[in-house]
Amino acid sequence: MTLAAKLAAYLAGKLGHPAEVTNLERIAGGASRETYRFVLHAPIEGAPFERRLILRLDPQASLIETDRRTEFAAIAAFQGTKVPVPEPLWIETDTADLGAAFIVMTEISGGEAHPYKLMQPPFARHLATIGQQKWTILGSIARADPGARGFAGIVAPVEPETCWRRELDLWEAVLIADELEPQPIQRAAIRWLRRNPPPPAQRISIVHGDYRTGNFLVDQDGSICGILDWEMAHLGDPLEDLAWSLNRVWHLNNDERSGGLLPRQQAIAIWEQSSGLVAAPQALHWWELFSCVKGQAIWISAAKEFQTGKNRDSIMAVAGWMQTTSQDRASLELLGHLHETAAGERL
Amino acid sequence: MRPSVDCYLDELRRALAQDFVPQLPTLFEQSALGRHAVLLGAVIEEFDRAASRRIEENRALRRLFADAAETIPDSDLRKRLRAACETEDISFRVRDLDASNCGLRNLLIELHEQVEQLAGEQARSLEQAIWQELVRSTERRRTALNRF
Repeated sequence: MTLAAKLAAYLAGKLGHPAEVTNLERIAGGASRETYRFVLHAPIEGAPFERRLILRLDPQASLIETDRRTEFAAIAAFQGTKVPVPEPLWIETDTADLGAAFIVMTEISGGEAHPYKLMQPPFARHLATIGQQKWTILGSIARADPGARGFAGIVAPVEPETCWRRELDLWEAVLIADELEPQPIQRAAIRWLRRNPPPPAQRISIVHGDYRTGNFLVDQDGSICGILDWEMAHLGDPLEDLAWSLNRVWHLNNDERSGGLLPRQQAIAIWEQSSGLVAAPQALHWWELFSCVKGQAIWISAAKEFQTGKNRDSIMAVAGWMQTTSQDRASLELLGHLHETAAGERL
Repeated sequence: MRPSVDCYLDELRRALAQDFVPQLPTLFEQSALGRHAVLLGAVIEEFDRAASRRIEENRALRRLFADAAETIPDSDLRKRLRAACETEDISFRVRDLDASNCGLRNLLIELHEQVEQLAGEQARSLEQAIWQELVRSTERRRTALNRF
């Protein structure tokens, strides 16, 4: 039985009448899920009905281990808000139907997410506008009340004073578990982070967890029409998302524009205006260095998946080869060491 | 080996990117194979320098440990630093050099952590030398893939 047939049978069961799945095609959509687009045909009382949908299927091994219930709840939390998200339709944790857990949501058609394509025409002339929207939307995410949005009941609670430690403990554990070779720069970064904890979070927000250029859809007119890849969403300090969005490894044009879009200070100012929060330099610095540790944990996990044969998608090798060195350099830069070698010798 | 390995890999990279990728039916499959072609560019770079950069780094770490052994008060760590200084790379196979490198970099982590806790000018000077080596270690690993 093909995946399309299995999916059609599942959807027919959910809808209570016959359904057909056509045009099932795997697409890029984050390295932690297998993502497919398809068209659902489900005539209702003889009248034709079709809808373009997305299937997000758990792979056997992925770049990051996450819970699809979190992703589903995060998308549901922002329905009808200023944060554009697809409509979540079904979540299935039983692996009997498709051989893995999955979620089904509506497709946001006509948008481009590929980060390097966004740097090219026709999108390139809209980069500043895209940046304005990117950090405005992130401010809206930070401003949302997790309790009122129904997300707080799904994920683990956290306190403003200790949210940094929970995240650091989590990603340090991943780094230790998955490293295939020693990581002296990240170990030094972790020691620095523990010696210099950040101030308590100004508020506990929904944190997207992977908010960067490449995880939102942009239409031909330069409008962001969908925020994607919520699988690492959690509760925490909203500065975590801001810091991740500013991470050096996402400077796609190889210049000083954060996320390939806007100068750093402008991005921060837009976020502050939208969120109503302050990005104090010292606190933001802590979260930026943390984002390097988290990033490196993700990249070396990808390398391990590839090395051990659990996932031989070439994206895993790209993460392992391309991102690890860049992430170490970003850490060195934040720690103030990148541009010096011996006395007087500068790289 | 002639044709040279880099020449052969470069042709493989070209063939994948220009001949095979366009024939694949979906964008997803094209992207997946296209990434392999891009990665081959890094393989070509790494093939040429693989032994050289590892030998250079292992020597640099042993030199660093020799200096550190004069500063570190902890006798156990001092002993292990000296022992590491006395090792050398007999085999220049990449796998063997990597094994040496892992051992040396684990010792570097331990040394770095201990130096951070020491007071005094000597300790700060050693700490700076460690950071300098860590900067060089990232530069050795960079390829054309790295935008930053």
